[in-house]
Amino acid sequence: MNTCHRFDELRDYAFDELAPESRHSLEQHIAGCPDCAAELDRMRLTTAALRLLPDREIPQRIAFVSDKIFEPSPVRRWLESFWNSGARLGFASACVLAAALIVSAYHRPAVNNAAPAIAQTTAVPADLSNQIDAAVAKAATQIREEVREEDARTLKAALDDSERKHDQERRALMVAMGENLDFMQKRLSTMTVLASNDVGVRP
Amino acid sequence: MIFRAVEDTDLISRVRRGDLEAFNLLVSRWEKRVFNYLLRLTGSPDDALDLSQDSFLKAYQSIRKLDDPARFGPWLYRIAHNEAYSHFRKRRPETAAEGVDAAEREAAPGFPMDLSLAVTAALDRLNPEQREAVVLKVYQGFKFDEMAEVLGCPVSTVKSRLYTALDLLKAELAPINTRGTR
Repeated sequence: MNTCHRFDELRDYAFDELAPESRHSLEQHIAGCPDCAAELDRMRLTTAALRLLPDREIPQRIAFVSDKIFEPSPVRRWLESFWNSGARLGFASACVLAAALIVSAYHRPAVNNAAPAIAQTTAVPADLSNQIDAAVAKAATQIREEVREEDARTLKAALDDSERKHDQERRALMVAMGENLDFMQKRLSTMTVLASNDVGVRP
Repeated sequence: MIFRAVEDTDLISRVRRGDLEAFNLLVSRWEKRVFNYLLRLTGSPDDALDLSQDSFLKAYQSIRKLDDPARFGPWLYRIAHNEAYSHFRKRRPETAAEGVDAAEREAAPGFPMDLSLAVTAALDRLNPEQREAVVLKVYQGFKFDEMAEVLGCPVSTVKSRLYTALDLLKAELAPINTRGTR
């Protein structure tokens, strides 16, 4: 039996349960204490022998999904899925709010001054609608005119732009054709000179 | 282990929201460890499998009572421990929590017969509390505070049981150790 005063610490150390602040000093102690060093070896050999006994594979998986007893009742499943679904909860809240509004509308007390309000509504001048129609027609005509003018301006600008581009392209083409013509003329002159030289040299 | 603890915590919160598949994942992670823990307590694969099943059922039913999801492991083993001791009491009321006879145990397959039998026999000579302390520490790798939670006793008691068991095991397994170092 180990009688060293640090024997209890040694056991905790063997299982990696010794406080970090004590580990270093105990390791130094073990280095100088043959009894503790031997005891530590024995403990490690014993736990190593125990760990040689392997874990067994489970003979069959724990049946969980397939076993109905594990599943919550249908009512509970519905309640849980309901509370976990923000969309459903929002829809239900909207339904409750709508129902509350309908009930509130049906149960609202009658307003006494409703009749005078209706009378005022019917007392509107008859030619008011004609004035409104005329004003609407005038505004519509004005808008149509503005739109037509805007369209005409846009079309004219587009035509001008197109004509200008076409003119530029035509000029560029004429310049290119002129350059080609000059080149062909020069080449023809060169060939004529060469031909006349050949004729002059021949005996 | 920290990464795994975070993942277990996430799975537990999903289970609490009614996600059954998340609990299936938890079961698949823990079933082998729980089965082997119970196998080393009972010595019977059939009993260990039944008790594992019951433990996971209890865990699912009471997972909302788990205060700290990061302590899921010790909490689950506490349930398994209670299931095992309840089983012992039902099976042999007069010798409750005595574990299993050495004769009932089988040698581990794929393991040298003499070593397997020697280690198994040495474990069987321990009393149930000592054996469970060894199983939780050596085979399941729990810390002392976690073992105290599983066993429902103070850390000092856990250490006392474990170190007494180790003294006995050192004597029992000394010939093997000597042979192994020869």
